[in-house]
Amino acid sequence: MSRDTPSNLTADDADFVFATGPQVVHHRSVRKRRPVRTTRMQLNLTSMIDVIFLLLIYFVVTASFTVGEGVITARLPAGTGMVPRDTRPPERPLNVVLKSTGFADCFIAIDGAGPINNFGELAGTLIALQYDPPQGRSGVYRPDNPVLIRPDGQVRWQHVVNAFNATVKARYSNVAFATTGSS
Amino acid sequence: MASQVFKKGPVTPQMNLTPLIDVVFLLIVFFMLVSNIIAEEAVEMVVPRLDDPKTSELGEVHRITVNVAPQPYSADRLRGNPLDFAGEAYEVKVGLQSFAIDDMAGVIAALEDAVAKGPTDKQGNSTVEVVLRADAALYYDAVQPVMQAITQAGIGKVNLAAFLPGHGQPNAQDKR
Repeated sequence: MSRDTPSNLTADDADFVFATGPQVVHHRSVRKRRPVRTTRMQLNLTSMIDVIFLLLIYFVVTASFTVGEGVITARLPAGTGMVPRDTRPPERPLNVVLKSTGFADCFIAIDGAGPINNFGELAGTLIALQYDPPQGRSGVYRPDNPVLIRPDGQVRWQHVVNAFNATVKARYSNVAFATTGSS
Repeated sequence: MASQVFKKGPVTPQMNLTPLIDVVFLLIVFFMLVSNIIAEEAVEMVVPRLDDPKTSELGEVHRITVNVAPQPYSADRLRGNPLDFAGEAYEVKVGLQSFAIDDMAGVIAALEDAVAKGPTDKQGNSTVEVVLRADAALYYDAVQPVMQAITQAGIGKVNLAAFLPGHGQPNAQDKR
């Protein structure tokens, strides 16, 4: 790299050329330059997440819709599409009679026999009356013998469902509810 | 304070919370919508409490919820005997439609409509089932016409709602 100064220039000019000419070498420092700290914008989401979690917990807890509620499946024989079977002798329905005795109580009887004290006893009696040799039951009514639950009009719904539950527990498959007029 | 490993300086660990927030928002929206729909169908009442219940949870079936609602009551009722209450029904609800207790023709029409719209099996029989929810204290007189209406609408399968085993204390329950 030679530096040729033109002869017609003064010393001052030469200095100027030296300072601004293309031969100027910029020395880079050996040390690395520190990176400029760019401040990145950040959203603080913590408080929003707090609130959202609270909302989530609220909805999960309050959404326990029908707590502990289940169903007993009943096939109501009065519905259409039921074909009466005429190949078997007519069966005598087993009547479970419920009568209202007071404000919230009821009297239970099976075909006039009774009284039966509670629905556990009703299920036991229904099991005793059932004929099902594989189950060791030697009564007179087959499991598909019609069972008719006959509550009077003032019996509370809880007792009706309880009686139905007892027949299901005793594994009767053909259970019907009587109309109130027929009891 | 440049560490030996990371020459650029200390690294502050950061979690990317965006997917979490996405999921949580979806959950919130789901629960808000579903709780509204279910609350509309499940009228507030005390379902029967059974001795040694044989109830089970209803599976995935096409169901119509029929509610026989009791008279309006306050929370005080749940502290005493739930049967110690008026036995007359207040209204009948088929799905989201309300009917007066003596409007059985309307109930039958609504049920027939639901059966017509519902699914059928291969033989063309309807597979629609009814969940019959009635308050424990109601008289049989109040519920029996509704059961008769269900059978008249051609629905043979009725599920009677009651407390599940192990959930027999209505006092400790949610009011629904």
